[in-house]
Amino acid sequence: MTRPVPGQSPPRPAAVAKARSARGWAGWLFVIPAFAFYAVFVLRPIALTAQYSLYRWDGIGPSTWVGLANYAKVFTDPDLFDSLVNAFKLIVFFSVIPVVLGLTIAATIRRIAQSRLALVARTVLFLPQVIPLVAAGIAWSWLLSSTGVVNQLLSLVGLGGVTRAWLGDLSTALPAVGMIGAWVLLGLCTILLLAGMSKIDPALYEAARLDGAGAWREFVSITVPSLRQEIGVCVTVTVIAALASFDIVYISTQGGPGNATMVPGLQIYYLAFSEREVGMASALAMVLMVLVIAIALPIQRLTKDTDQ
Amino acid sequence: MARRVRPGRSTAALVVAVGALAAACGAPGSNSPQPAASASAPLSGTPTCGTAPVALNGYFETGFPLPKALTTEFSKQHPNVTWNIREDQFAVITQNAPRVLADNPPDLMRLPQVSELVKDNLLKNLDGYAQAFGWDKWPASQLEQLRLGPGGRPRGQGSLYAMGLNFSMTGVFYNKKLAARIGMSTPPATLEEFDAALAKAKDAGITPIVQFNGGATGGLAFPLQSLMASYGPPGPINDWIFQKPGATIDTPSNLRAAQHLERWVKAGYFQKDVNAVDYATMMSRFIDGQGLFMFNGDWESGNLDKQMPGDVGFLLMPPAQKGGKRATMSAPLTFGIGANAKNADCAAFFLNWVATDRKAREITVEVGGSHPMGPADAYMPDVAADTVTAGTLAAGADIAKDNGAMDFIANATGAIYAKSWTPNLQKLVAGQQTPQGLLKAVQADYTSQLEGN
Amino acid sequence: MIIARREAWTGRLLLVLLMAVTILPFLSLFVTALHPSGTYPVGLAWPSDPQWGNFVTAFQAANMSELLKSSVLIVLGVVPISILLGTMAGFALGHLRMAGSRLVFLLFVLGLTLPFEGVITPLYYQIRDMGLLNTRWAIILPLIGLFMPFSVFWMRAHFVNMPGELSESARIDGANVWQLFRRIHVPLAMPAISSLGILLFLWTWNQFLLAIVLVDDPVKRTMSGALGAFQGQWGTDIPLLCAGSLLILTPTLVIFLIFQRRFVTALLQGSVKG
Repeated sequence: MTRPVPGQSPPRPAAVAKARSARGWAGWLFVIPAFAFYAVFVLRPIALTAQYSLYRWDGIGPSTWVGLANYAKVFTDPDLFDSLVNAFKLIVFFSVIPVVLGLTIAATIRRIAQSRLALVARTVLFLPQVIPLVAAGIAWSWLLSSTGVVNQLLSLVGLGGVTRAWLGDLSTALPAVGMIGAWVLLGLCTILLLAGMSKIDPALYEAARLDGAGAWREFVSITVPSLRQEIGVCVTVTVIAALASFDIVYISTQGGPGNATMVPGLQIYYLAFSEREVGMASALAMVLMVLVIAIALPIQRLTKDTDQ
Repeated sequence: MARRVRPGRSTAALVVAVGALAAACGAPGSNSPQPAASASAPLSGTPTCGTAPVALNGYFETGFPLPKALTTEFSKQHPNVTWNIREDQFAVITQNAPRVLADNPPDLMRLPQVSELVKDNLLKNLDGYAQAFGWDKWPASQLEQLRLGPGGRPRGQGSLYAMGLNFSMTGVFYNKKLAARIGMSTPPATLEEFDAALAKAKDAGITPIVQFNGGATGGLAFPLQSLMASYGPPGPINDWIFQKPGATIDTPSNLRAAQHLERWVKAGYFQKDVNAVDYATMMSRFIDGQGLFMFNGDWESGNLDKQMPGDVGFLLMPPAQKGGKRATMSAPLTFGIGANAKNADCAAFFLNWVATDRKAREITVEVGGSHPMGPADAYMPDVAADTVTAGTLAAGADIAKDNGAMDFIANATGAIYAKSWTPNLQKLVAGQQTPQGLLKAVQADYTSQLEGN
Repeated sequence: MIIARREAWTGRLLLVLLMAVTILPFLSLFVTALHPSGTYPVGLAWPSDPQWGNFVTAFQAANMSELLKSSVLIVLGVVPISILLGTMAGFALGHLRMAGSRLVFLLFVLGLTLPFEGVITPLYYQIRDMGLLNTRWAIILPLIGLFMPFSVFWMRAHFVNMPGELSESARIDGANVWQLFRRIHVPLAMPAISSLGILLFLWTWNQFLLAIVLVDDPVKRTMSGALGAFQGQWGTDIPLLCAGSLLILTPTLVIFLIFQRRFVTALLQGSVKG
């Protein structure tokens, strides 16, 4: 940055000081409108969530101070705690599958990345990112129903025995919801990783080939390390999507059957607006926000080389 | 980085600003307006909709054509009245009711469980209208479930806070063609005979019962409550629903009912995917002839008469002992008026019209399939004898004779259905909950919900 | 050579398979939508008598023209203001860098990963107290605030890379800060601004939680929120629900196909920076 550095003797100190303070003034004027919106609709609500979480309040009548009792309940009430556990289980589907599968696919199609087919694929694989999650939820509820396409395909390949209502079975509902999330996020991850791969110097691969490295060695020692940042992005985006999932679950299972797919986002919604436990909802919301930050930050640290 | 962070005046100002924004003054709810209890002011004259244009805001339940059929006819007779109608599924209405009534009160609304709404003064006290229109001279049992004591407890007595569009009743529909195939010529008269019919259907490769139990609405509550009625008297169940002090759902006879339900599940009498079947799916399967029995209400009679004319029968759940008294879930199709509704008078006039207008009563029976509200000697439209509607209306008379009307066990508190019955019934189906555990869990939630209020 | 060719074929096969899985839900929606209204179709089977009229019925039932208008109004409320304010703040934080700007920036970064569920409860009461419940403002105003961290972050990333000489020379010509911003920096930032616009459009259009909590009337919601209501109202009729879902996702699909290159770039960059 070519900015006057303290120590360099400036020619006209008064004028520079004046210019800088004018710039400071203007700077604040430029920031304040944006900050005002942010403060009113994000910072204030965060502060209020923190405040509500210390009360028992039905949202209509007067409230009672309960201290940290709501937080204690979040971690002891099985219904509430299980929703947090479910969110972590969803990470397997929302993050692990798209990233691992995305890496594999991207590595396989790396060589044909410039072909016409790949260009078409780029468009097609992005579709799940563009449509509302609600639509994805509706479409998949239908696919996964007992008479849906998924069961139809399974029967076709001779797996008629495992067919079931995937979203209505206590043991498969959560994985089924997870698969919807994987479907939404797989395309994004694949293309993101593919874009990263195109930046890897081909000479690296040539050299590895000459050394007699197989595809696996190539993948492990060149592809993955070079993609550290892209992988970090994929993991961050997908983990947040898993922890804060709402739309898909709301549409496909409403948290059922038997709370098997209850996630924090949906639980907050139910607590605040149907069970009218505003304090409890807020405590869970605080836990969720802290969890997201606690998980997103280290991933960023680990994968970004040096921040500016 | 040439520049380091200098905590200066601007930073201090920022911190102050953020602090001020947090506005952590006073506890939540302390400064929001509290709705006051609406004592029923005596009315001057009978309310009407007047002649000036009125737009009534309605909030109805999805999938039930009756309210819309009535509002359409009403606007035909009273052209100055138009309707803005929003529809949602019942579970969503249950979730939304308190905040919709508090923040954006509809003139006429399909109501879920009303105790907590009354406690928070969200519903209009209808005593004044009842007097003005003479509702208090109708058979008292019609309105009993809609009366509440001060503060919302107990139910069954006190002021009137809601009205019914009709008086509906649940029971068991059966597919006559499939019944003939298993040789069931007359409806089972005892629980044992009913079980035998289920077993025969299963052996014949027919799904014995199509029921819904998916999403946020556990439809196995219907057969469960029917079994409760077979095994025990309706009184204690009503006390529990009405939140009478000391009432419990965890009784020996209810336990036998829950165990019986579990036997049905284990015997495979329900569809395999019952936990994924929603109400609409259940209906289309039954209409498609995919099952012998369906536990449902007479609000479907009109629909079934249209979709499968002559092929559907209706029976009340038979008692455990032959000749025993019968009881069933039977409740007004509950509608209420928001405490702060803009057009309360007109909405009340509409409710009275539904119960007393000749055409409205015809619609109630034909479209709704249920008994209209109103005076005992009011006009009753003729119904062809071979229809389900005739069957359900006759069953209604039987229930009245046996004094066997119960409210729905899912209506005990606002959250008991979604939070307790539904997940526990779904777990029962999956073999992850026992009958005893089911009743205990529901009772525990019930107690904590009542304490919370 | 042989290995490479085999690899290419595996790649092609994989791509086609992946595309098939991606398209399957859309195909299923489409086929189901053509079955007679009120029936309960099984699996993926072409109906004997395709009911194209279902789309017309759904269009009317969902009040689609009103919904489109509403979503457009909401987008017009959110996107321009977010872009303007985000660009201004990004300019100040990335280019002017007045004292304290790093702290403000950190505050914005704090909101970057915020799950909306975290603040939805107080937002409801706040919007109610402002008297905005059930108006489009109830979606527009909070979304501007909620998208602000990203908008600022995004624009700052652009301005940080703008050489300082650019401003110095303009300042020598006597331009004040606003002129500097308006005449020199905004035109140069157009690629970043248009990508931001695309992302904000998409996120607004697809916003669901705010719509269902803050606005009861589906006609005043976003497309996505309206679809939730449509499911509530027509969930009993599967073919109609599928037709309605397809109609509701068509606008974004069309816009995506027209601007696909920009979209893909914006989404890729968006996730990298976000």
